[in-house]
Amino acid sequence: MKISYNWLSEYVSHGLSIAELTDALTLSGLEVEHIEQHDLSLDGVLVGQVRSVHPHPDADRLQLCNVDLGDGTPVQIVCGAPNVAPDQRVPVATVGSRLTINEKTIRIKKTKIRGQVSMGMICAEDELGISEDHHGIMVLAGSSTIGEPLKEYLLREQGLAADTTLDLAITPNRPDAVCHFGVARDLSALQNVQVTFPDVPIPPSGSEASNHIDISIQCPDVCSRYTAIIVRDVTVGPSPVWLKQRLEAVGLRSINNIVDVTNFVMYECGQPLHAFDYDRIAQKKIIVRESAEGETFVTLDRKQHILEEGMILICDGKEPVAIGGIMGGQNSEVGNTTTNILIESAWFDPTRIRRSSKVLGISTDASYRFERGVDPQRQPWAAMRTAMLIAELAGGKIVPGMVDMYPTPKPLATVDLRISRIRTILGIEIEHRRILQILESLGFAPRETAEGLVSCIIPTYRPDVNLEIDLIEEVARIHGLENIDLPEHTSLQLSAPRPRPADLLREHAHIHLTGHGFREIYTNSLLPDEVARQFSQAVLDSDDPPARTLNAVSRSMATLRPSLLPGMLMAMQRNANHSQRVLRFYEFGHVFHHSKRAAAFIENFSEYDVLLVGISGAIRPTNWDQDHQVADFFDLKGEVCQLLDALQFNALRMQPSYTATELTDYHITFYSGRTHIGVLAKLSGAIQEFFDLPDPVFFAEFNWTRLLLLHEKNPSQTYTRISPFPEMERDLSVSVDKSQAVGPMISTLRKVGQPLLRNVDVFDVYTGNQIPTDKKSIAFALRFGGNRTLRDEEIDRIINAIVNAFSEQFGATLRS
Amino acid sequence: MGTSLERLIATTEELSTEILRAQLDTPSNIEAFRIRFIGQKRGLITQLFKQIPHLPKEDRRTAGQVLNALRKKAQATLDSAHQKSVSDPVNLSEIDLTLPGRKNQWTGSRHPITLALSRITDIFHRMGFTIAEGPEMEDDWHNFTALNFPEDHPARDMQDTLFIDEKSPDQPRIMMRTHTSPVQIRTMMAEEPPFRLIAPGRVYRNETITYKSYCLFHQVEGLVVDEGITMADLKNTLYRFARAFFGEDVKLRYRSSFFPFTEPSAELDIWWNLPDHPDGGRWMEILGSGMVHPNVLEAVGLDPERYTGYAFGMGVERPAMLRYDIKDIRLFYENDVRFLAQF
Repeated sequence: MKISYNWLSEYVSHGLSIAELTDALTLSGLEVEHIEQHDLSLDGVLVGQVRSVHPHPDADRLQLCNVDLGDGTPVQIVCGAPNVAPDQRVPVATVGSRLTINEKTIRIKKTKIRGQVSMGMICAEDELGISEDHHGIMVLAGSSTIGEPLKEYLLREQGLAADTTLDLAITPNRPDAVCHFGVARDLSALQNVQVTFPDVPIPPSGSEASNHIDISIQCPDVCSRYTAIIVRDVTVGPSPVWLKQRLEAVGLRSINNIVDVTNFVMYECGQPLHAFDYDRIAQKKIIVRESAEGETFVTLDRKQHILEEGMILICDGKEPVAIGGIMGGQNSEVGNTTTNILIESAWFDPTRIRRSSKVLGISTDASYRFERGVDPQRQPWAAMRTAMLIAELAGGKIVPGMVDMYPTPKPLATVDLRISRIRTILGIEIEHRRILQILESLGFAPRETAEGLVSCIIPTYRPDVNLEIDLIEEVARIHGLENIDLPEHTSLQLSAPRPRPADLLREHAHIHLTGHGFREIYTNSLLPDEVARQFSQAVLDSDDPPARTLNAVSRSMATLRPSLLPGMLMAMQRNANHSQRVLRFYEFGHVFHHSKRAAAFIENFSEYDVLLVGISGAIRPTNWDQDHQVADFFDLKGEVCQLLDALQFNALRMQPSYTATELTDYHITFYSGRTHIGVLAKLSGAIQEFFDLPDPVFFAEFNWTRLLLLHEKNPSQTYTRISPFPEMERDLSVSVDKSQAVGPMISTLRKVGQPLLRNVDVFDVYTGNQIPTDKKSIAFALRFGGNRTLRDEEIDRIINAIVNAFSEQFGATLRS
Repeated sequence: MGTSLERLIATTEELSTEILRAQLDTPSNIEAFRIRFIGQKRGLITQLFKQIPHLPKEDRRTAGQVLNALRKKAQATLDSAHQKSVSDPVNLSEIDLTLPGRKNQWTGSRHPITLALSRITDIFHRMGFTIAEGPEMEDDWHNFTALNFPEDHPARDMQDTLFIDEKSPDQPRIMMRTHTSPVQIRTMMAEEPPFRLIAPGRVYRNETITYKSYCLFHQVEGLVVDEGITMADLKNTLYRFARAFFGEDVKLRYRSSFFPFTEPSAELDIWWNLPDHPDGGRWMEILGSGMVHPNVLEAVGLDPERYTGYAFGMGVERPAMLRYDIKDIRLFYENDVRFLAQF
């Protein structure tokens, strides 16, 4: 919302520079977002008198003017304006002066126009930056002095001066601050000075006016007040310069003296007004009603709208003439021939206006104010102020009286404020007198009803103030939050909170994964619906459908991710497109889906944390003595098992599956007991191709929420005494059928090797011409240890037991 | 087991000869020698030692002595070769110390948002705040009603908030949280005061993706509720945070503002130096804050006459963009390695 520095200063003598004013308003809650200066750069523009006007010999539309600039030597100026005439006083941009027209600076030079010398330029208002008026040259009053700088004349005669526009961000709790009065009121409280608002004699309701217009409100819930005043015999025409300048300062275009006044009063007091052509109001009746579904209406801007049910319609005896609070209609618009004016000043329901404005896609200065809530007591004042200004500027006569329909006046609320509570909330002491001053300046009429108790009457322009805390906020913001001193000591309860296991575990995972060369990524939680459905079973152990959104702005963000995998594949694709050979990523994030199980948070939905790790491409950087090697399944399996080991998840069961799915060629599922924890898989070739990835992709996705539950159940770790006795190593090489899986053999090893077997590594898997074609040789490196010196015999016994078990379970034979 | 002392001694002699004849004139054949004879795992002498337990008891001692002597010999040969190779300029010329070091692992990295989030939460953690979390999918009550948003507040509009299809004909009730403030509500409902918590997390806006807006971003929420908490405490905490985060000499401004769930409400601005700016810089809003509104305390069953508190919330992407001079918010979610590698 824009306000003008000069305009504001009319109501309150604040004594602040623009910078000081900006600071004061911003700190107290009316944030100045933008400052725009309007200079009157009129150096070298003088008042001249037109001596004579002759047609240009070689151009029909141009005239040769002889202009006196007060220095005794009249000059010739070529002028194209139709309204130039002898004896006029006009602004002349003399040779050497500069004008800014349409944001371009022009230097005025001595020039020849179609062969005739021109020694300057006679200016229109827009060329001087006074208004946007370009109807013709500006004609000055006789009180001007020939040869005086135009700037001096404008300031003296029209109060026109350079101005500054402050663009304020108005928070939704301040409907009172969308006008100059409201800002002035804050300023008076901030500076502890008086405000002076124009004195407007409010006519009694009824009287002659009621003979000329009949008003009925059929929907008092959404139009609780409707005030009308009639002005007769006006002459519609251009507005005076001061009014144009005021409107321009707040970013409005001058239309005519009637419309301009309604806009001026709205920016002055916050009450939107509408001027109807009284003679176009059928049967001299105004009926306020709600629209029916499908009604149509043509607004001022010549657009036809199809209305929804429940919009506020202002109708005459025949048809709608305005959409209340939003925009007037073409059928009752004030035009150049209008002579009688009906001024509307009403209160419309904020919620209803907001909805209508949105449905219609029309946002106006009026709707902006009604949406926030206008003061329900301002209507008569605003209507009369408008009528008086119209009568003054357009020469009309106000019909005595007014029609003020206000069936159910809103009662004034009272709120009590405990002075001690201010300290309780703010933590600082504010002088008693200053508290009362602030409340008084803001219009709360404070009255001390008991020791330390102040009773405030809430003005109707502050519907946001209902509670004691609201009054405390008023005191705080005017007193200034900058004035809250920082305490050197506080009485906060001492606490050194324990880090949560969840945070420690995640931190551990971050350290491990980044140390292992993985880069963390953040991907969008929203996916196209078909992608979400396709990937919904990547980590889930159920076929619950993904959670769709109701109103996403785009199809590509229609459904919440049920897995982090698609996001990572998109990131891999993007990087592969930019020739990145190494793709090693991880992401922590929430996934979502429908669920019939008992919900932790939201009924019928499940949301949990997931960790995804993925690799594709080179396993290590290029070195001068190592070959380039592309990652395979066991690279990721190694990483994942090391991570799980590091995080002490050592009791997970792995279930391999050699069956391809839509997403994977093969995979391992991780379980804790019967609980599904995650998967480790090779992405299917089809999907790899779909994402244009050059190398095979391997990923592991874990339900982090479940891992965390396991972690919390893990017994707290204690130190295991380091054995001072040497460990013994043995290698064991066996031959088995080629199809024999190694995993179960390791399990057997571990079981039979108890309790002395400390570690098992597989150091060779061999097939080839040394052994039969249907066999493979597997070499294990075993390490034994105990709390004593081990004897060879006992290790031999264990090895024998292992060999027997291998032979029995897997048909394995010992290789010598 | 087919192993006899004689065979072992015969092998020892063969090896002994081989050790004597070994050519040890380059670093690589010195290393090959070491691996062949005394390598930890499969060095020939190491292997022979492993055979000792399989010998008859009475031979083991002799075998041990023979093998120890052999190992000594191998070690001595190796040592002298090493020494020679270090002192011999001819051998040194075969090492190129300027070759790049061998990289056995890629470099990993944390995402800049994780880094920013932990920098923020760490500071509050040091001030005694605990970390709390909540779901990203929320209901209307936690996201709006309990936080004192009026029934017709614009934030409840379809335009701004991403609602979830519940397959029910009623008004939409489930949404992606628009701020981390519902964590305040969940925590206050579940536990007893005093509260001093910080809640980092992802929040959503129903917005088109452009260089300056994304459909989601990250926030950190703070909440303190106890007896006797004041706005002076709030300002103190925030100023101390800002100085820890942006530097001790940061210029700060605390100005009145409005949020439905706090009153009085205020925003904290920092002065950001911009050499090209006509004013030499400008104020940038970094967080919103205020005293917890009595209606919020009542909604979670706390007596506002007994308890007071404050809350604050800040975005993570904006300050990070400011700090790193990132002009396009989408970079955070595109995960280009060339971007990630910079943090």
